[in-house]
Parts: sequence; structure tokens; C-alpha cells
Amino acid sequence: MIRLQNVNKNYGGRPALVNINLHIALGEFAFLVGPSGAGKSTLMRLLYREETPTNGNVFIGGVNLNRLHSGQIPLLRRRLGIIFQDFKLLPSQTVFNNVAYVLRALGVDEKEVAKRVNSALAVVNLEHKFDAYPTELSGGEQQRVGIARAIVNGPPVLLADEPTGNLDPATSLEIVQLLERISQRGTTVLISTHDQPIVNAMRRRVIALKNGELVADVDNGIYELEMS
Amino acid sequence: MMRTLRIIRRVFIETFLGLKASGWSNWLVVSILAVALTIFGGVLQMTMSLKNLVNAWGSQIEMSAYLKDSYDPKKVANEISQLPEVRQVEIVPKDVAWRDMQHTFKIAVINNPLPNTLHVKLADPEQVELLATKLKLLPSVETVRSPLKIAKKITEVRHFLEIAGFFITAVLTTATLTVIGNTINLVIKARHREIEILSLMGVGHFYIKCPFVFQGAAYGAIAAVLATLVLLGIHLYVDPYVKDQILSLVPFMPQNLEFSLLQTAGLMCALGVAVGAGGSLWTSGRFIKL
Repeated sequence: MIRLQNVNKNYGGRPALVNINLHIALGEFAFLVGPSGAGKSTLMRLLYREETPTNGNVFIGGVNLNRLHSGQIPLLRRRLGIIFQDFKLLPSQTVFNNVAYVLRALGVDEKEVAKRVNSALAVVNLEHKFDAYPTELSGGEQQRVGIARAIVNGPPVLLADEPTGNLDPATSLEIVQLLERISQRGTTVLISTHDQPIVNAMRRRVIALKNGELVADVDNGIYELEMS
Repeated sequence: MMRTLRIIRRVFIETFLGLKASGWSNWLVVSILAVALTIFGGVLQMTMSLKNLVNAWGSQIEMSAYLKDSYDPKKVANEISQLPEVRQVEIVPKDVAWRDMQHTFKIAVINNPLPNTLHVKLADPEQVELLATKLKLLPSVETVRSPLKIAKKITEVRHFLEIAGFFITAVLTTATLTVIGNTINLVIKARHREIEILSLMGVGHFYIKCPFVFQGAAYGAIAAVLATLVLLGIHLYVDPYVKDQILSLVPFMPQNLEFSLLQTAGLMCALGVAVGAGGSLWTSGRFIKL
């Protein structure tokens, strides 16, 4: 589902990613780990085409992202669900409207919007908070709204960029377990994190970056301290 | 089809939300734009009235062609009236001219020395030189007398008015574009989070940028309505007084010279909407990175 071929990314001559080769299959659940500055966020940005590689190819579902012109980028992003460390919720909108916002912008009819939003809120156990505002929610609940928004369009791929960065350990584990449950329904999930306890508790595939290089790719792996 | 209509409806809702979020700055932009459009409309009316006046004076310009005796003035007049530069030809037969002259100056009875004359009115005063040359080349024409100096002055005034109108419009358009651009930039900054979310969730560029363009167009349309109301007020309450004053000073002033207020309102609206939408499109293109 996700494939990177000899990917390099430089910023003004400074390498951020060096010759990355990677394949993540449909329905797979994987952690992308590494210390700050290892290149995790850069790799994530390449996957949702916020950036393009200096050289090499990035494929999502067989589509070479290098060949997309700017008008096709929204079409790619509709096939991705993106989750952020800072949730990126609209404070002036209710939980329901935050999740519905993008569906409405895509012209989905109101009955279908209600059906999909309620279903997404049920997945993250927030049906009862549909009319609350983000400021009335805890960090974990806000992140669950972010997840509901990411899955509401039924994307085959979920990209979570440091989704537990602003959460306490117990809530972090809850969030990652929620993402794992979503993955079990056939969605490819890639979580970038430097949260060692979470990664070690889950014992799933771990892809490790250090100084922009892929230094480990282990099934049922742990986050090895010497990497950081 | 239904999906497209729903997207368009959402774009209008987003436009409304954008206007709501802009608060007092809406009125600042609309006021500045309305002042600019009022000046534009006023200048337009003034230049068009002056241009009409100049044209009316220009249309009074006539040249005289003195014919050789051996030619039939009716035939020559018919030939000249076919020229594209000619609006009207009036024949003054030599007998009539001589009788008038005798009557006016009490001249002794001698043989009529005057030629048959054609008074030729021009379609466009700018063409006086061209027509004079054409007339001189006709074998039937002995000499031509043309008011070259007056025609040249009228043409100069017309050109000056055109250039002044263009210059004022250009200055006002630039100023207005700047104001709209800055306001839309503020709106974009205020809504950057929504823009970012929409972009990352795969919403198209059209949906994201359109509300800003519509917002700019709305500014232009509202400002044009306000400017029209101001000009209507001037038209109803100030114009008649000014016209009376001018007519008392210049009694030979041609009538019906106003450039229609409806036309001015239409132009102001078109300019306002174009400048508003154009300024917003340019700003959103520059500041929204998708």
C-alpha cells in the first residue's frame, strides 16, 4: 500500500532522508520511530505529498506521488486519513461539525454526512459528545475527534504524525490501541512516534530512522534506546 | 449535479462565514472601495459629459468647398456625401450666396463673382485634415477652407480627457486592489487553520479559494451600490443647480449631455466586482499554499 524506492530528501543540501526503501502492506500496522530530527515528519510529509522527494519514488496504492500534478493532490489526500499531534480541530465548531466539515466540503449530502459522522464517532466512543466543543474535551478526547475525522471518509491508509505527543501515557496507549483496532478492519496505519513505552507495549512492526537513514525494520519490534 | 450544487451552497456558506469573521474590517474595505468607486463614477460622468460636450462642439465643425463653375453642385454634393468622413453636405448656390451678400453689405450691381459652395459637416472632427486633402483632390473643387486649428484643439482635449480618465481609473484600481488584498490576507490568516485542515483532508483548491474570491466580489458589489446611491444623490440634488449655473454662463451649451447614471452604476458594479474578485484571487493565490 505504501512503497518508497531509493528516496532521498535534502533541505538546502542538508540530507533529511537518505536512500529510504520501504514497503508497508495493505492493512498493516507499523510504527515509524526515531529521535527528533531523524526524518520521521519529513517521511510523513512525503506520504501526504506536502513535500516531494529530492530523488526516488513514493507510491501510495500503486500511484507514484511524484507524477501527481497539484490538482490531483486533493484526490490522493481523500484516500488518506491524517492525524496530527496538535489535533488540528476547529475550536468554533462542535465535535459533530469538526468531523462533518470535510464531508460537507466534498458535497456529501446531509443524511449521508450524519450517518458517516455518527459511525466514526461510534468507532472512537464519542457519540455522546457530538455537540461538545473541542475546548470542553480532554486531550485524549480531542485526539479521538481527530481520529474520527481522519476515518470518516473511509480511507485505506491512516497516517498519524506523533498522535500521542500531547497526551499522558495512559491516554496515549488508549489512542494507539484505538488505531490498532481501526487497522484490524483493513486500514493501513503508520504511526510516527518517539514514545518508547507505547511502541514497546504494542510489539508491532517498528521502522526506525536515525539521521535520515533507515536503521531498523523489525516485525514485533521494540524501540531500542541506543537508537535515540 | 446535486453534489456540485451542495458544494456551491457550501462555498456560499463559507463566504458568509468569511464575511462574518472579518467583522468591522468589512466596513473599512467597503467604505474605501465605495469612496474609490464614487470618485471613479464621478470622474467617469464628468469626463463622459465633457467628451460629449466636446463631441457636440466637434460635430458643429464644418468645412467649405468652393466649386469650379463648370461643375453641377448637386452632383458634386452627392459625390462628397458618399465619403465616410462626411456627416452632412449643404449646398449654397452662388446665386443665393450673392443675394445674401448684396443684402448684407449693400454691394453695387455687378456680375456674381462667387462660386457655388458646399458646407461639409464631419462625422468626426479628428478627420478634418484627411477630408480636406480628399476634397482638394477632387477636380470639381477649386479651394477648401477647413477649421484645422479648432479641430486640432478639440481632438487634443478629447485625448486629454481619455488619458486623464484612464490614469485616474488606474490609480484608484491599484489603491483598491491593495486594500482588498490586505483585507483578504487578514481573513486568510484568521482562517489558516481551516484552510490547512481542508487542504490536508483532500478538499479541492476551488472550494478553498472560492469563498475568498466571492468575498472580494461581495465587497465590490456592496461598494458599487453605495457609490451609486451617492451619485444618485448628487444627480438629484446637486446637478440641476450646477446645470442652471452653467447654462446661465454658457447659453450655447449643448443639451442632453449627461452620461446615463444607469450606465455609470453598471460600470462601477462591473469594476467593483472585478477589482474585488481579482484582488482576492491574486491574494489567495499568493498567500494560500496548498
